[in-house]
This record gives sequence, structure tokens and C-alpha cells, in this order.
Amino acid sequence: MSARIGDYATRSREAIRNHPEVRTAVTGATVAFDEKRRRAYGEVDADLWRRWAEAVKNHLLTHLGDYLVEAEARLEANGAHVHWARGADEAREIVLELASRHSVRSVVKGKSMLTEEVELNPALERAGIEVYETDLGEYILQLLDEPPSHIVGPAIHKTLEQVQRLFADRLETDPGGDPDELARAARGVLRDAFINADMGITGGNFLVAETGTVALIENEGNIRLTTSLPRVHVALVGIEKLLPRMSDLAGFLQLTSRAATGQSIGCFVSLVQGPAAAPGDDGPEEVHVILVDNGRTDVLVHEHAWEALRCVRCGACLNTCPVYRQTGGHAYGWVYSGPIGSVLDPGLLGLHEAMPLPFASSLCGACFDACPVRIPIPELLLAWREEAQQQGLTPWKERAALAGLANVATRPPLYRLAGRVGTRLGAARAARKLPMLGDWSNDRSLPSPSPRTFRQLWREGIK
Amino acid sequence: MSGSATRDRRESFGDDGGARARILARVTRATTLRDRLRHPGRLESPAPPDPAATFVKRFTSQGGEVATPDPDRSPRDWLTSFLEGLGDDVTTIAIGADVPTRLQPRSPDVPPADAGTAREESPGQLHYLIAPAVSRNSVEPMRHVAPAAQAAVGVSLAWGAVAETGSLILPSTGTRAVQLLPPVHIVWVPADRVFARLEDALIELQPRLPAGVGLHSGPSKSADIGQTVVTGVHGPGRSIAVLEG
Ligand code: SF4
Repeated sequence: MSARIGDYATRSREAIRNHPEVRTAVTGATVAFDEKRRRAYGEVDADLWRRWAEAVKNHLLTHLGDYLVEAEARLEANGAHVHWARGADEAREIVLELASRHSVRSVVKGKSMLTEEVELNPALERAGIEVYETDLGEYILQLLDEPPSHIVGPAIHKTLEQVQRLFADRLETDPGGDPDELARAARGVLRDAFINADMGITGGNFLVAETGTVALIENEGNIRLTTSLPRVHVALVGIEKLLPRMSDLAGFLQLTSRAATGQSIGCFVSLVQGPAAAPGDDGPEEVHVILVDNGRTDVLVHEHAWEALRCVRCGACLNTCPVYRQTGGHAYGWVYSGPIGSVLDPGLLGLHEAMPLPFASSLCGACFDACPVRIPIPELLLAWREEAQQQGLTPWKERAALAGLANVATRPPLYRLAGRVGTRLGAARAARKLPMLGDWSNDRSLPSPSPRTFRQLWREGIK
Repeated sequence: MSGSATRDRRESFGDDGGARARILARVTRATTLRDRLRHPGRLESPAPPDPAATFVKRFTSQGGEVATPDPDRSPRDWLTSFLEGLGDDVTTIAIGADVPTRLQPRSPDVPPADAGTAREESPGQLHYLIAPAVSRNSVEPMRHVAPAAQAAVGVSLAWGAVAETGSLILPSTGTRAVQLLPPVHIVWVPADRVFARLEDALIELQPRLPAGVGLHSGPSKSADIGQTVVTGVHGPGRSIAVLEG
């Protein structure tokens, strides 16, 4: 998915005016996700878990070279092949070379934002390979030729009626078919694809350095099938996805599931060590792990943004974000949308490419409260805004908003007052402060922001 | 430590531009920019009391089912009647390669046989397919996939279970196709290997990790169509755990 972020404001306004069904679908889904996440956090000592997870990832990111080397050695000892890709082009080349070496005609895929990021599917298709997205949401989007709009629920912007029409047209289902019937039809097509595929391609939620384990969380079972049935399994893993130890994985699997969908763990977790090599073991003949940089080392050297590399892609910050809820993910213009997209995209793509995303936020602080690895998103947004201003990248409207903010921020009593008023009056009032999206202030269904103001969070040392 | 990260070594295939060395060099440079932060150690989370009871509670709350074998009958006799009770259309059973004979259902007239091929059976009569107990590398690749895809029920043996998350731990030394393809999955769980916490289970498993491990914590689910939950999307729609021993 190539980046086209620049006209964010236009796309947002368009989404809100011309596609009210998107807002209805996205708000409904994200509010439900967010409620489940809150309930699931309430069942454990979420504060302790989040601080622990933050510390594990900070340790990892400040020792990343050592752990990458350890993961590689373990994977190779397990019989897996390890490849390194600096950019999207190298990642694609490696996959294409593997596909040609194994005479691959048909590929099944598990949901992977990284493969979206490196635009893998079009490259495979150009090489004459049939590609099946097997996550139900991704399959719907593949039929529609649309990119995912959410990192966990890629098709949450689609209504039942839209899927009914699509499947009636493409899979000849009953136009009034219920979700069960529609899912059965997709399952039929994809079951054949699983059985006939020569290669399975996935991402990876985690890669445990100590054991060389690629871990994947899901609910449908399609990733279990993708990593089990085809002869060759290829996993594309961002270099920041490592975890030091197996014992860390236990905590991260649970915390990520709780943050993403409110489950104590996803219905299915695949732990992939390598190919079936020992007698009596079952699985692919070859396993390839591609360690992908694609801008991550640029983020790692950045003074502030490196903290965004702790991200486990749970989507909790999207679900809780009053801005994301209004437009859905497509308005943001790239793979990673919502609060995390607004701080990660400038790092991965370069700030110029990602403008004006750092301004697409009311700094309400809800994303920080939701984040399982405590990424100080509001603080990172401010850092990017400052950088944009220094580089002269901010258009006048945004600069005015930024100047206004800086003005009150330097006068603490006024700022405190403004912040408290904003919180008390709820997000409808806060939304009015958003720089480009005046339309939103008419909306009465906006969710409440974090009960704490960003300033309070700041004082508590969210750093 | 950074020396090991940049040590000279054979570059992997597809890596002709020296991607490995360059990525590691950039990572190493980045890690010199800030303090090295310490690992916080283990996450202290309370172990749920009575692991077996907690497992049953969590697994069922996630949509899984738990069946209790009749203590007065042998496991295989109990399983045979349980399968017969699933209905007349349940005739083909796929059995994982690592399920011991005493946990396999009894075959009415055909001996549990080489299973690579499916045979026609009259309705109501159980028919068994046992996955070959050999690695994919030494047999024709799809040999046990096709039969498992035709089966109404898969029978597997779990390595253990986890109370904290309500999960079955399924090793790839069983048969993956049997664990995943049939719409109903029956899983024997050794009752003495229900771990209180996921971490306890993974650490115990760590020295003997097979090529792949699946944690199954209920049936296959999706809410991708209109936010409505449907079950049995790709994996089993019914997941039935049986505590044994
Ligand atoms: S930034 Fe935090 S909340 Fe957002 S997707 Fe990443 S881990 Fe989840």
C-alpha cells in the first residue's frame, strides 16, 4: 500500500460527509472493542502488566543487535532459513526468489500488516502467482481491492449489507444471507486454497530470540492452517518484533490479546520453531523468516520516536481514539492509521511524507491509557509537531493551532483551566479544537476522552 | 556485546547487498545513543487456584466444551459411544498420529488401518483414518491432509493445558491436519498436565519444542462480517476437551 497521506484532511471530510455508513460501522466496532479491552484490563493488574511489558520492550530495543543475532542463530539451529531485508524491494525479492525456487503457483496468506507495508501481493500477482488472503476480513477486502482500515479488524468499516452484496455477486450466496452463511461460502473457497497452496505467507506478532519461535495470534484458525499445510512457510517479521525469552512470550500473548479484543488469549496461537525435521514431527518442509527493517532503524535512532517501536499492533489506541472513530483508517492514507500511525508513519516514511498526521489528534490522552506497552503517543505527537514546525512543514492552519497550544502550555494556570474545561465538557468540545476537522464538532456521539488530561499524564511522567 | 552483532559471517541467500551487516550496524549505532535498559524479570501474576477446575471454567467460557469420560469404562469404549452419539452423519474420524491405541475409538469391523485412503462406509458406521506417524518429509506431502479434510471429527492428544488462558497445547508431533481441518475436534488432555499459568507451561515445554505448537483456546471464531460472531470459520467449530487419567 503506497503512502498517500498528504490529503488527509480532504479524505477525512469526504469520509464524514459522503460515507456516513463508514462512521457508523467504525464507531460501532471500535466502541465494542474498547469496552472489551477495558473489561479485560480490569480482570488483571493491568498497570503492573503494562509497566512490565514496557520494560521488556525497552530492554529489547536497547539490546536489539544482540537479540537479532541470537534469534537468527536459534532459528538456523532449528532448521529454519533466515533472510534480512533493508527495504520493501528486498523483502519482495526474497519472497519472489523463494516462490520461483519452489515453483509456487498458489499462496495462502495470514493477515500481516508488514506484507501490506512492503506491497507483497501485487508483486506476487505480477509474477503470475495466485494469492489468497485467508483472514475473513482480509478476504473481503481482497475481493473489493481495498486496503485494510484497522490493524486488527481490517474490514470493520464494511457493513453486513455491503458484504451480502459482494458475496452474492462473487460467491453466488443468497443476497440476504446471514453472517454464518456468508462465512461458510468464504470457508469453502479458502478451504480448497489451503489444501492446494504451495506456500504459506504470514507476518509474526513476536519472535522469541531464546528459542527462535515466531508467534502468531488469531481467532479463525487460518494462520494455523497457513503455517501447517503448505510445503513452505515464509514469515515476514519486523526487526522490532523480537522478545528476549520464552517466559516473556507468555505475558505478551495475554496482554496483546486483552488489549486487542479483550480475550484472555486469541482462540489460536501458532508457535513456529522451524520445519518438521525430526521423525514423527509434522509441518512444512521449509520455514523461512525474513527480518525486515524498512525504516525501523530510522525510527530507532530518533530521539523520541524510538518508543513507538514497542508497539505490538493491538489496535487499542485506534479503538479508543475519538478522531479515528470518525473516519476509520483509510483517511490516514497508509497501512498504520490512528494514533500509532500518526507517530509511526513519520518515522517510517519520513516526516515530510507523513504530514499532517501528527496534527490529527486532540491530545486527549486516551491512546496512552489504552496502550499495553505505554507508548506516550501524545508526547510523541508533540515532538513530531515541533519537528515539523522547525522544518517549516506546517501549513498555516496547523501552525496557528500549534501556536495556540504552545501559548497556553507556557502559561500553566491557563492551560490547566482549558484542559479541565475540555475534559468536563467531554470530547465534543475537545473535537472543536481539532485543527482541520470542523465538521466533527457537530457530532454528539463522540466518546469520552481519558478522564485525565494530557497535562496530568505528562506530570505523572508518562515518559 | 556489539562486536558479536557485527561479526563477519556468510550472508544469507537473497542478501547480496549485505543487508544483514548493514541492518545490524544501524541497530548497533542506535543502541549507543541511549542507556541500555534492564530486563524487568518475570511478570508476577497470581496463579489461579485448582488448575483443572479453572481450565474447565475458562475453556467453556470461551466457547469450548468439556466432556467427562465414564470412570467405569475404558477410555476407548467411552470415546466410541461418544462419537456414535454425535449423530448419524458422523462416520469418518481422523485420528492424530500420536494418539495411543488405548485412546482411539474402537472400530466396529475394520481394523484401524493404514489410513492414507478413505473408504466408503454405510451411514451410521464409524470409519477411522489414522494419520501416518511419519514426518511429511518421508511420505508424500498431502497424504494425511486429504483424508483429514473429509473427516467429520478429528481426535488429538494434547501435550497439556493451561488454566489461566483456557488453552489446549497441541504439538506438531500430532497431526496438524487432524487438529485443524475436521469441523469437530476432540482432544485428550492428560489431567496431570494442566498448568496454572501459561508461562509455567511454556517453560516446561521449552526444552522439547517440536517444529510447531498450537494453542487452541476454544472454537474458531470471526466477527469480520457485520461484527457478528460466527464459529467454525477455518478451524474446528466445536472444540471438545476430555481430561484423562
Ligand atoms: S501503539 Fe499501543 S495501543 Fe496502539 S497499536 Fe501499538 S501497542 Fe496497541
